[in-house]
Amino acid sequence: MDWAAVLGAGALIPLLNAGIRLAMPTGLAAVGEALCQRAGVLNLSLEGILLSGALGSFLGAYYSGQAWIGVIAGVGLGVAVAALMALLSVTFKTEQVINGIVIVLLAGGATSLAYEKLFGVTTTPPRFDTLPSLKIPLLGSIPGVGAVLFDQNALVYISILAVGAVWWVLYRTRFGLSVRAVGERPDAADAAGVNVDRIRWCALLVSGVMGGLGGAVLIVAQLGLFRDNITAGRGWVAIALVIFGRWSPLRVMGGALLFGITDALQLRIQAAGGGVETGVPFELFQALPYIVTIAVVVAATAWARDDAQPKSLGFPYEKEAGTRED
Amino acid sequence: MTAPAPPPAVRSRRWKDRIGSPVNVVGAAAVALVLGAGVIAVAGGNPITAYADIVTGTFGSRSTITLMLGEVTPLLLIGLGLAIAFQGRVWNIGAEGQYLVGAVVGGAFAILSPVQASVVLIPAALLVGTAAGAAWGWIVGKFQAVWGVNEVISSLLLNYVAIFGVAYLVRQPLRDPDYYLPQSKLIPSAARLPDLPFLDVHAGLLIGLIFVPVVIYAMGRTPFGFKVRVLGMNRDAARAAGIDTNRLIVKVMMISGGFAGLAGIAQVLGVESRLNNNLDAGYGFTAIITALLGRMRPLGIVLSSVFIATITVGGDIVQRSQQVPRAAVFVLQALFVIVLLVADKLARR
Repeated sequence: MDWAAVLGAGALIPLLNAGIRLAMPTGLAAVGEALCQRAGVLNLSLEGILLSGALGSFLGAYYSGQAWIGVIAGVGLGVAVAALMALLSVTFKTEQVINGIVIVLLAGGATSLAYEKLFGVTTTPPRFDTLPSLKIPLLGSIPGVGAVLFDQNALVYISILAVGAVWWVLYRTRFGLSVRAVGERPDAADAAGVNVDRIRWCALLVSGVMGGLGGAVLIVAQLGLFRDNITAGRGWVAIALVIFGRWSPLRVMGGALLFGITDALQLRIQAAGGGVETGVPFELFQALPYIVTIAVVVAATAWARDDAQPKSLGFPYEKEAGTRED
Repeated sequence: MTAPAPPPAVRSRRWKDRIGSPVNVVGAAAVALVLGAGVIAVAGGNPITAYADIVTGTFGSRSTITLMLGEVTPLLLIGLGLAIAFQGRVWNIGAEGQYLVGAVVGGAFAILSPVQASVVLIPAALLVGTAAGAAWGWIVGKFQAVWGVNEVISSLLLNYVAIFGVAYLVRQPLRDPDYYLPQSKLIPSAARLPDLPFLDVHAGLLIGLIFVPVVIYAMGRTPFGFKVRVLGMNRDAARAAGIDTNRLIVKVMMISGGFAGLAGIAQVLGVESRLNNNLDAGYGFTAIITALLGRMRPLGIVLSSVFIATITVGGDIVQRSQQVPRAAVFVLQALFVIVLLVADKLARR
């Protein structure tokens, strides 16, 4: 294997560039999930949101020929799935874990059904060209940094802005303060006049926007096609990243970037290694992201010094039963 | 999960200690059927004839009933294990992986075993598959118990590890060199599960049915079942009451994984002829639906597994007669659970 092609200085810039790109779908979903969990809702439907966003963006972009219509459609479907989650978890207050799992299964079935109905079963799936790179003038010419950060497709810039926006909303706005209050002490927030259920609804919808956008980035900017279960567990990885990032959007995004770079690295090692005939089985590379995710969550949970998990995470707030003594 | 603020015990007990009223079930079923009709119509079928086809198609001939019972077997076995876990609110969603590990490890044992006498081989292979599934579940339980790792995440992610692990095993070490496709040698005929008398269904179904009263007894009449139910009501209260919750969670994950592993090896010895990538058939996920529709109770799961198996087999029939894609069945299943969840909640208001 040509290790210079994998790890050499000349390979570093494209590696980081690809890493940032690959990090975005999972990262967006994870940051949205972080906000949602800060409001106390364990949104396990995230994989379903991503998958629906992926299908929505594919259909939008394929039929209109416009990437931005794809993005809007993806976000729209993501929000729709999140709204179903909110209806069950916040309005009806049924068990959040079950809601999430069932919605993931529903989204899996519904996206396959829609795609098969529209395109049939084909060996050559319809495709479109993914977004080209959009080099930002001046900034893109900075040596090193420019090629890594400012020579990306338009959706990467939008994603970075979206992540920044979630951070800003969570820590610098009244809504964000309510979100954090509702996640820690819903009873106290309620007493202070915050509408707990409304805040949680909104948090879930934000998670839908971010997850839908993540799905759209995956399709419109990276793959240009749709397949059953194309998100391949990215939503679950994103939930794991929330734990890894201790519920802080920026740390969660940092984790996503590390993952993206790891992903880019393993793709490159596989390519340089020559595929199937190497000594290392390629299935190991395929399983690696999931193994690494498990390891990272175990490490993050085991070594956490503070209990960063929102105190009311997973528990619906019911006024009449809200006489907990804690 | 280790959230220190548990829900009030009153709510949880209601959630657990009820058997839904029949009116509730019928009402939910009616709403679900209407929603399902909408799905079928959107998918390009005629809902009325589709429903009729599902019922008459599935129960109309001996061969389709056989098919249906074949679908019941893995759903029932996995569902029983999930019922135990879910009653303790241990959210094992890694049954798919546990099933696969049980199927491949047990199947490999059957192929490689030096002893090829059915009396020894079949029980031994079943045990090995069960143990392998239990071991895969043990990982999840141990992570939860030792480090507090959320079992939903770890069990789900381990599914992917299992899928790629199986892909590697059938491509390399277990591969039959005479074939182009990655698949193992034939499962030896001495290891085949016999069919039940008068039916063309393998004995796995009987094993599942035998476990129904066993699980009912274990959950309702033993200290273990009591502890699991307390765990499900309130994890902190269970700990306060002197229950070693960590040990219990590991145990529950092993039992639940063991059932899934048993379902996997039973499928291999009863239905499949070789080990290959098609083993990953989604039973682990469908069984979650089955367990929820059966309200996490063994007898309920018998009924729900027959129901799910019926719409699965019926769905294939409708796919041929009306070009409604098979995925419609997954949509229907999930909708039924959602309707039931909401109906249960509304009934208690």
